[in-house]
Amino acid sequence: MDQMTNALRGEGIALSFGGIKVLKGLDVEFRAGEITGLIGPNGAGKTSLFNCLTGAYSPQQGTISYAGMPLNGLPPAARAAKGIVRSFQHVALCPDLTVRENVMMGIARNCTAGWLSAFLPLPRGRTEREEMARAADTALSDLGLPDVGDKFPGELPPGMQRLVEIARAVVGKPSVLMLDEPAAGLNNSETRDLTAVLRKLASTDLVMVVVEHDMDLVMSICDRIYVLNFGEFVAVGSPEEVRNNPDVVRIYLGSDDDE
Amino acid sequence: MSNHATHITPDQSVFTRLSSVATPGVTAGILVAALIVMPFLLGGSWTFTLGLCFANSIGVLAVSLLVRYGGEVSIGHTFFTALGAYSIGVLDARFGISLWASVPLALLLGVTFGILFAWPSRNLHGIYLAVTTLALALAVPEMINNFDILTGGYEGLYVATPFIPGMSMGMQRYYFALVMLVIVCFAVARLRLSRQGMALLLAKTHPAAADAFGTRRVWARISIMGISGGIGALCGAALAFSGSTVSPGGFTFWQAIFLLVGSVVSFYGLSLPRVLLGGAFVTLVPQLLSASGAWIPVFYGLALLGMILLGHYMPRIRKAMSRISEVS
Amino acid sequence: MSFWDSLIYDLFPLIWSGTITGCLYALGALGLVMIFKCSKVVNFSHGNVAGLTAFLVYGLSSGVLMSLSWGAAVLLAMLAAVAIAFLIYSIISPVVFESDLTSTIATLGFGLIAQGITLLVFGADIVALDLPIPRFAMSVLGLLVTGYDLTVLVVAIATIGALFIVIDYTKLGIAFRAISENPFAAEVCGLNLKSVHYFAWITAAILGVIGALLIVPTTFLSVTTVATFMLQAFAAAVIGGFASLPGALIGGILVGVMMNLFTFYVSPEYSSTFLLGAILVALNIFPNGILQKVGGTRV
Repeated sequence: MDQMTNALRGEGIALSFGGIKVLKGLDVEFRAGEITGLIGPNGAGKTSLFNCLTGAYSPQQGTISYAGMPLNGLPPAARAAKGIVRSFQHVALCPDLTVRENVMMGIARNCTAGWLSAFLPLPRGRTEREEMARAADTALSDLGLPDVGDKFPGELPPGMQRLVEIARAVVGKPSVLMLDEPAAGLNNSETRDLTAVLRKLASTDLVMVVVEHDMDLVMSICDRIYVLNFGEFVAVGSPEEVRNNPDVVRIYLGSDDDE
Repeated sequence: MSNHATHITPDQSVFTRLSSVATPGVTAGILVAALIVMPFLLGGSWTFTLGLCFANSIGVLAVSLLVRYGGEVSIGHTFFTALGAYSIGVLDARFGISLWASVPLALLLGVTFGILFAWPSRNLHGIYLAVTTLALALAVPEMINNFDILTGGYEGLYVATPFIPGMSMGMQRYYFALVMLVIVCFAVARLRLSRQGMALLLAKTHPAAADAFGTRRVWARISIMGISGGIGALCGAALAFSGSTVSPGGFTFWQAIFLLVGSVVSFYGLSLPRVLLGGAFVTLVPQLLSASGAWIPVFYGLALLGMILLGHYMPRIRKAMSRISEVS
Repeated sequence: MSFWDSLIYDLFPLIWSGTITGCLYALGALGLVMIFKCSKVVNFSHGNVAGLTAFLVYGLSSGVLMSLSWGAAVLLAMLAAVAIAFLIYSIISPVVFESDLTSTIATLGFGLIAQGITLLVFGADIVALDLPIPRFAMSVLGLLVTGYDLTVLVVAIATIGALFIVIDYTKLGIAFRAISENPFAAEVCGLNLKSVHYFAWITAAILGVIGALLIVPTTFLSVTTVATFMLQAFAAAVIGGFASLPGALIGGILVGVMMNLFTFYVSPEYSSTFLLGAILVALNIFPNGILQKVGGTRV
């Protein structure tokens, strides 16, 4: 039952832009210990739902909660403080910071060293920085990137940048990890590495949500899949159930026919 | 890692060996040591000019910091330098209070006003801050002249109280500016390593990512302007003490633009050698061209454009150069 | 009774003359906004270049450089303004597509050069540059209306009207609007960003010259007059939201009237400080411009 309480839940989420209903009253539950996939054709509302959950958009109706705590109205920074973190579809690493420092930003929110430590060589700031660096190195080597800490993001291939971005998201031991198209722009072997990494990350107390186009990736790692089309869920269930759902097949094959 | 990636050509290894010896810290150390002995080698007027160079370097650093960490441009930093300079000048000339009290006050005022000016445009495109600072720069001389009871109007104020009693005043003026510059450069170098500094850099390039990891955009916009305003005020403090007089002529609209030009000329550098270059440019060019005043804006404009275009075409030039050297 | 007197003898004339100068601020602001809308560059050289061209008109018609008729001098100065705008944009255009911040700083460089050239050629003296218009004054409903007022009003309305017609109906104007909305999509659709940028820069330069020529008779022409006049234009643009042409127009008139009232009723010595305050307050109350606030905020 513990898994049920530590879930990220949305009830009746409705969002519209200037009269166009993007999300039509969605009920979702992302459980801890599971990897949940969110799929659907372009324009189905995946990113909108994602943004509602992270706090970038605020839906007109519905409630969003994690482990019973309501999240409505909290800005992204406040949700981050509660351990709800995300990755970005377009790699959003800072080119002026080294890879290690970029990853360190994932736990910077836990730091308490004040402005004085920022300008003066005080022991407090130094210890915190060392702790952050150690955590970042651990996260990087967990993701199979042990030697890149001192490089700059621009020196890494796109696949590695994506992994660095995921390292930044997981370094702070989040309770909810939301990945926005983690495999976008990756080649086959990079995607395979990513799959392995994501499987390894899944743990009993982590809620993991993956928005993805790559069906193979979604089918191979997800425990449950929500299929979104025109702002509504067409199907929910295990990969097996979703794959055999006639509506899902129609949406995906149908959209192929149109192109 | 493949062998290919770690393979180093002889050329590069010489370069890396050299650069590993000349780390930024060592370079700055040598430079500071040289500057410490300077007054014993130079005449009084050069010592005075160098002191002004250091003071202006701090101002250039304040502008560069805003560009580097905030992605914003200020053409009104004379407001902050004036704030700092008049804190020193007024406390000294009117109340006889020395730098021990007036420098902290200058810093405090600079930070406070930096935050106040960033506040209205906190949610907007950085361009709005630039326009606000334009108005700020134009308003400064007006404010100084109209508060003449305090500021002494056109005539200005003379700063005479020594910082350390007994030491020669010329030496004090020189070393005060130098020490301030070194402290500020050191603090800015520390900032790069701190979580606040890293958060500012992330917020500049990817505000949404910074937001998602707990750094609010508004916090970033306001903090960087506060820091930059504080450093600007310290520049003013150094200018007041090292330049011995505080008058409206030092805080004109042109001076504000010159600070920005100095920042561009030093490629927005934050290291001690770079900001010294910018400060020297701001201080020396008007002196060298003082006989032909009308050429100053032309020269500054050309220097500004030249550096910007150089910065733009540099990667391409470098690529072309390396292609040529590969061929030969 | 004295209240009504002051209303009629002070307030209305102040509002009227404020509106007239406001139209000129609007001309300056429209140029700034046009450039900002399509290329995201704030053109800090606007005032200095306009000042230089105003000096050119003076130099060409007064005998300092040549002794042409006023009309011929204006025509030549216009051509010079267009050429300068073309040159400036040509030099910074590679930077524009890389960083709007850097290119904004670059415009300051051109401003410095324009200022320096003005100083080198014409010196730092103050000169008078009048408009060849009939001098008359009449009283309309108690307001003193001069030939200058009417000229400004007619020229401003004609210029702004022409501008809006060009933007609404010509091919370039439509391309300008498309690119301002979404540069990427517009470029994908085959619109040439550069030619639209040139259009905006050149139009802005012409607006600047007109504004400068009309404002000069109220003060004098010196190397700084037109540049400071541009601060009012900047304030107008900010109040209008910096990305809205009608907003710039309204902002200009508002600034003109407010400045007049402020200098008359409060103090003439704090005009820049007042503008600074106006900009800060405007940014706080309607960050997206005055029109956005009236029309309702965006979701």
